[in-house]
Amino acid sequence: MRRFLERLLGLDRRWIFLFVLLSVAIPIIVPIGLPVTTTESTRKAFDFIEALKPGDTILISFDYGPSSAPENDPMAEAVMRQCALKKIRFIVIALYPLGGLNLANNAVAKVAFEFPDLKYGVDYVNLGYKDGASAVMRRMGDDIAGAFPTDQKGTPLARLPIMKGIASVRQVKLIFTVATGIIGEWWITQVHPQAGTPVIIGPTAVSAPKYYAFLNSGQLVGMLGGMKGAAEYEKLLRARYPEMARFYTSTHDFTATKGMDGQTVMHLIVLLFILLGNSAFLLSRRGMTR
Amino acid sequence: MKSVAPFLIGLFLSAAAFAAPTDTSAPAPPELPAPQQFVAKDKPGDSGGAVLLTWTDPPAIPAGAEIEVLRAQAPAYEWQPIDLVKPGAGRYQDTSAKDGVDYRYEVRVRPSSADSLAGVMPGPAVASDPVRSHDNWFKIERTNSFIASAIFVAIILTSIAAARSGKEIFIRRIAGLNAIDEAIGRATEIGKKVMYIPGIQSMDEIQTVASLAILGNVARSTARYGTDLDVPNKDPLTFASAREVVRSAYLAEGRPDLFREEMVNYVTYDQFAFTAAVSARMTREKPAAIFLVGYFFAESLILAETGQSTGAIQIAGQADPTQLPFFVATCDYTLIGEELYAASAYLSREPVLLGSIRGQDIAKGILILIAIVGVVLASVHVVDISSLLRTQ
Amino acid sequence: MSVDLGQLVLVLLFGLVPIIGIVLGLNSPGLRSRIPIWVAVFAGLIPILAMYVPKSFLSGPTGMSQRLDDWLIILAGFALLLGIVNVLQNNLRKIARKESGWFFSVVLLAGLFVTGGAGIYGALTKAGIGFNPDGSSTPFKYLTDWFFQPLQSTIFALLAFFMASAAFRAFRARNVEATILLIAAGLVMLGRVPILEFLAVPFPSLHSTAAGVSQAMGKLTEWIMDVPNGAAQSGIIIGAALGAASMAIRVILGIERGYLGLGRGE
Repeated sequence: MRRFLERLLGLDRRWIFLFVLLSVAIPIIVPIGLPVTTTESTRKAFDFIEALKPGDTILISFDYGPSSAPENDPMAEAVMRQCALKKIRFIVIALYPLGGLNLANNAVAKVAFEFPDLKYGVDYVNLGYKDGASAVMRRMGDDIAGAFPTDQKGTPLARLPIMKGIASVRQVKLIFTVATGIIGEWWITQVHPQAGTPVIIGPTAVSAPKYYAFLNSGQLVGMLGGMKGAAEYEKLLRARYPEMARFYTSTHDFTATKGMDGQTVMHLIVLLFILLGNSAFLLSRRGMTR
Repeated sequence: MKSVAPFLIGLFLSAAAFAAPTDTSAPAPPELPAPQQFVAKDKPGDSGGAVLLTWTDPPAIPAGAEIEVLRAQAPAYEWQPIDLVKPGAGRYQDTSAKDGVDYRYEVRVRPSSADSLAGVMPGPAVASDPVRSHDNWFKIERTNSFIASAIFVAIILTSIAAARSGKEIFIRRIAGLNAIDEAIGRATEIGKKVMYIPGIQSMDEIQTVASLAILGNVARSTARYGTDLDVPNKDPLTFASAREVVRSAYLAEGRPDLFREEMVNYVTYDQFAFTAAVSARMTREKPAAIFLVGYFFAESLILAETGQSTGAIQIAGQADPTQLPFFVATCDYTLIGEELYAASAYLSREPVLLGSIRGQDIAKGILILIAIVGVVLASVHVVDISSLLRTQ
Repeated sequence: MSVDLGQLVLVLLFGLVPIIGIVLGLNSPGLRSRIPIWVAVFAGLIPILAMYVPKSFLSGPTGMSQRLDDWLIILAGFALLLGIVNVLQNNLRKIARKESGWFFSVVLLAGLFVTGGAGIYGALTKAGIGFNPDGSSTPFKYLTDWFFQPLQSTIFALLAFFMASAAFRAFRARNVEATILLIAAGLVMLGRVPILEFLAVPFPSLHSTAAGVSQAMGKLTEWIMDVPNGAAQSGIIIGAALGAASMAIRVILGIERGYLGLGRGE
């Protein structure tokens, strides 16, 4: 018994890795379709965008890279789809240096394909990437054209109908930052105080706990925390707009809702390992005290 | 004789007007009132390029009316409508004004384009004196932040002055910093190198600056003991600074012969390529001590867990709370939050630096007091001070 | 006129002062070592002043503070060159000396030149780094889509494995604090995902009970994240912000010199 406990306590971590691999891979191959419950931070984000009027403009900043794309992509796509349905205009930028622009291009192209009525330059625009994240943001607080003189195709902002009346981020109704790392936080701590524009963040699950402090202080309007937040948003979107189901039922496309199956099973596996480790630890300690 | 002609024409037109048959069947359209107390002035506390217009809406302003703002520019002063404002606003900012140019503004009440007042003529306009926008010397909306910053700086400077005068300052024990010598000593004993990763952010991040100050101390110790040091970098500016710090440390310890350029090396700008390269280096070379001090993101756990698996003694430090749980779970010692910034004062024991730490603690005490008072006042519904503290 | 004033001051502070200092300091290392401190003092003071003084020469779109931001971007670009040179030096040396793992250096340099070459090719042909006019991918985009992105995702995905192994090792009920941490972590992990519904899948009669309990757990999790977690995060953030401000004051006043490699007694 003692030897067994010792072996369990010193379990080769590769066994844990194997279980983690299976717990994530199997539900992706064979989806379970588990339900998703919504949280207040996501509902606040959803309700805020729902309350915007057709013709209002929001800014969507791609502040993440390919590494966290499975978590962040569904958030960006869900919000862009909501905008497309509600006729809310969206300005897309990318501030993440490695790969942010590519992800922005892919997401914009995907949503533009899904909603053929959307007119580039009128309903949405892609301003592309600019280096220097916080400096760029501060400049946008005063003058968007100072930071992005043209859109990604090289058209001056003054010639884009969507930019009429939008000189700085003060004029947009919302900043939605889809973020990994520090760039998302800068929108909250540097741009929000300067411009007063409300901010919603879609961080990775790892960063989400930090943003509760900003939610409590009112510096954030809402948050889509990690893949769970994205799945909640997808649920709210489907409940409000049944026609959205077509984007979330295809067996080929990855959605956050599908990703949650794997995450659920993995949580279970990790919990079991923690339970196992603690049982062995407590039993071995009892053995030692005897 | 020339001046008589216009007079005669005017007289004729007036007579014609009186002679014209008046329509008594339709009621005269209501006349819209004029806005009152209209003032145009440079917007205070800005960088220029804006004029602030204020007025009072006339009483009994009819529904469906709005305020039209017009602007005329010197020298021609031709009136151009620039915007429409809903009643009740009482103010408008013209952010398209150019600094140094004279403008005059007019406001008048007019029917909105689609409403029940169709056919009603705009009310009389009220014009402003000429005004020009310019930049200002103080941002008024940041007064609270300025006062708070001034008080904070004053407290720090007073504490530093007190420390300079020889006053003894107590600083609590920080286990992670005490362990630095232990870690380097262990590396020296077993003849393996020390690895120091100063985060993945650039030199504009204050945590990186704090980390380099600690690196200076670590490099002095490795120079003293003759232990090998490896400092891989993700950010090029941090790389350049880190190299100077290590070089200076070896020079200061009188061991420039032990310093090698490749001790501080550049890996790549990509976060995860850096993580892969450094993790592989940890696995291959098995450093005896690993320092993960600075700003880390998702790579924190990968690096720390890999280091843990190689059996190295690990000391981590980060002020941002996001990655702290991972460091606490995988490292032997972790500098949490402000401990990272206190490190250089703690390690050097310089009174001036210690003084600033004391000042920082006094400021924290004041903040806690304000928070408690604020919570109590808001809870008993006396006054909500949060608006006083809001920064813009 | 006002913009010129800003430019003039910047040139004086960051151009002439260091040059004069270096010349005067040729025979005085002490004076020479103070120059970086002065540069840091000016670079730190200007953005702080710009926070409160809205004069356009200081904080306008082409003011001193904005120009400093622009300079930082340019400096970082040149520093990146320095980094690339260092990568070349280190790896070429490894290959020349046939040190262990030299073949990986060959792969690294090949990756550097192929990716860099694809980017330069895009610039020279004006095709850019996105799509070609016919909708096909440029070489750079091809490399990004099929090499860079999957590799990045792979390394990030390692987190899941390491998180599980770290949780297994670290979450032990060693003492009261660790036990509280363990219980809170367990509750949050249970409340964030529908584990109970998953476990109840084979038992239809338990579905509604599982859903109810799961919802209650979800609310408890929200409370834990909102209140204890939110309070702790605020505490660390405020404390760290004060520490950062204090550190910044030390840097600006030239008291903190460790980051320049200037330690005690210098």
